[in-house]
Amino acid sequence: MKTSTHEIRKIIHVDMDAFYASVEQLDQPALMGKPVAVGGNKERGVVAAASYEARKYGVRSAMSSRLAAQKCPNLIFVPPRFERYREISHQIREIFYSYTDLVEPLSLDEAFLDVTENKKQMASAILIARQIRAAIKESTGLNASAGISYNKFLAKIASDLNKPNGQAVILPQEAEAFLEKLPIEKFFGIGKVTAEKMKSFGIYNGFDLKQFSLPFLTQKFGKSGLHYYEIVRGIHLSPVQPDRERKSLSAENTFSKDIFELVAVKEALSDIHEELLRRIQKSEVQGRTLTLKIKYTDFSIQTRSRSLEHYIDLEAIWEMALELLEKEPLKMPVRLLGLGLSNLNLKEENQSGFGEQLWIDEDWI
Amino acid sequence: MKFIVSSSALLKQLSAINGVVTTNPVVPILENFLFEIKAGKLTITASDLQTSMMTEIEVEAKEDGNIAVPAKILIDTLKNLPEQPVTFSIDSDTYSIEISSDNGRYKLSGENATDFPKIPTVSNATTVDMSTEVLSSAINNTIFATSNDELRPAMTGVFVNLSDTNTTFVATDGHRLIRYRRVDIASPEASSIIIPRKALNLLKTTLPSENVSVKVEFNSSNAYFNFGNIKMICRLIDERFPDYENVIPLDNNNDMTIDRMEFLSSLRRISIYANKTTHQVRLKLVGSELQISAEDLDFSNEANERLSCDHEGEDIEIGFNAKFLIEMLSNIASREVTLKFSAANRAGLIVPSEIDENEDILMLVMPVMLNNYV
Repeated sequence: MKTSTHEIRKIIHVDMDAFYASVEQLDQPALMGKPVAVGGNKERGVVAAASYEARKYGVRSAMSSRLAAQKCPNLIFVPPRFERYREISHQIREIFYSYTDLVEPLSLDEAFLDVTENKKQMASAILIARQIRAAIKESTGLNASAGISYNKFLAKIASDLNKPNGQAVILPQEAEAFLEKLPIEKFFGIGKVTAEKMKSFGIYNGFDLKQFSLPFLTQKFGKSGLHYYEIVRGIHLSPVQPDRERKSLSAENTFSKDIFELVAVKEALSDIHEELLRRIQKSEVQGRTLTLKIKYTDFSIQTRSRSLEHYIDLEAIWEMALELLEKEPLKMPVRLLGLGLSNLNLKEENQSGFGEQLWIDEDWI
Repeated sequence: MKFIVSSSALLKQLSAINGVVTTNPVVPILENFLFEIKAGKLTITASDLQTSMMTEIEVEAKEDGNIAVPAKILIDTLKNLPEQPVTFSIDSDTYSIEISSDNGRYKLSGENATDFPKIPTVSNATTVDMSTEVLSSAINNTIFATSNDELRPAMTGVFVNLSDTNTTFVATDGHRLIRYRRVDIASPEASSIIIPRKALNLLKTTLPSENVSVKVEFNSSNAYFNFGNIKMICRLIDERFPDYENVIPLDNNNDMTIDRMEFLSSLRRISIYANKTTHQVRLKLVGSELQISAEDLDFSNEANERLSCDHEGEDIEIGFNAKFLIEMLSNIASREVTLKFSAANRAGLIVPSEIDENEDILMLVMPVMLNNYV
């Protein structure tokens, strides 16, 4: 991944509002508008997520269910359905991938996106965030909040500012002043224990933290000292680290003149197919999903894709591409055609001889 | 203030709680032991704010009083003194301490006892009693699987879930998970807490080898352990523990039962040849034969062994971190163990084949992906 540390990035942090609880309200309309807690029951367990109606009563996630039930006697407890949350989470990630491949999921309900360069050629990250939230609402019925800034740390803080169902921007020139006022425990990466330790040095907000030298911070906080020293100055260089498996390989071409004749379209597709093959061979990957992208003269985009159980043979790609093209007639003249391979196995990873240690559950990380 | 105490008796008490004292504490006074004398009884406290330990010893004293004594100098002095009664004389205005023995006199400067942080007391606590044997076995069976990652605070401790029929101890670092359950500890009131690793490590080293009773009291913020004349108080980790029950697969139908020591010794040899970053070993089950192998392409190292086992299910090939397997197998007492698999990218389970009727151990470990896995 090419991410220069000197150029300004545009990072969006998307965070679903009361995700688990909202999914339950969506799937069970009877719960809509009611205080809902996912996880636990009146007697035991812990609340995993609380709907906004429940939060009004002071119910918070990670609260013991018994306390939650005391605070909100009408609280409705529902068991969690992680399979369902995962399914919706994938749906949401598909929306992210339509804007950029630089997507770093933090958990089922939040992710960082680097949209400095994006697939829609949009200049405004604010607009992208708005579109993504609208697309999430349209495809899942759920509300999302977003934060936009020039690094992950600030984007994450920003997404909290206008929650729920809102978004906020922290501009580079505003960042330092904003961070000076920010209470120390609100800094992403400063947990309760560290915050307490900071307070013992009289550090209650960003301004206080800024008064301490780097040698002092590294002496007291070890390696994290540098991190604290940098973040309070708005410096956080960690790039958005995409899920490498999700990368796709594609080739596309915008025509100088719109084409409509099937013969002409096939000929154009054949060139794109050859380019795709060249790229596949160069990067030595295999993929299981082939996608045909068609942009019409009115700029509307249509994608048609097919996935196989096994990796697609190089020789079979042309057949499949034609199949996708002929699946339904073209609606109007075509401006652009693209062909992409996804669900890749990245051979370069495997050749290194290093096996990947798997995690029990990606949501725990 | 003045008191007389046996040098070795005092050293024994100090050593029991000295593990709490850190070299670079948040506040400097925590480099001290707090000495409090009341009616001929000396109470000694050590703390790092998260964890505190207290012990008591009878001393000869005419008056009550308090002082904070530098821990390291005191321990080093006592360690190097032959056993004898020593006299502590404390100037309550200057906090200076003088220790006199047959060998000579040692002066050190203490600190005002009132600067020592207050140790929280128990309120609204749930109480359970268990034996030191049960508690140490719960700690030993789980603590090695806790995480060192401070960014995942919940995983840096052991989760303890009490119910009216049993008590479950769970530890995980995200790659492996241990669930240790005992039916001989229960509480009519269901509750769960996360005890930090440091506190458990201290308990592990301090719990007496003879089997005495430990009284455990806890509320939502602190836990208290009482045994003999020692008391430990630790702040609990106030986080949500990952939902561990849902990740334990129930449909791992590929079972392999094998002699634990044979398997363990083989892994110890094979792991020498494994890649030093991944520690990956390959387990290949063909019929009732287990082939264990490892290779490190960078050094052209490779090793293979074959063991016989009882195997029910399809042939399977699966990779694991040898260190994880070795650690888990070393913590099982049973002669044979059963490993349960489903696929090369799904969690594997290890359970002892025979087990004490009061306990239940389940170990889960995630594979390391094999290069040839598609």
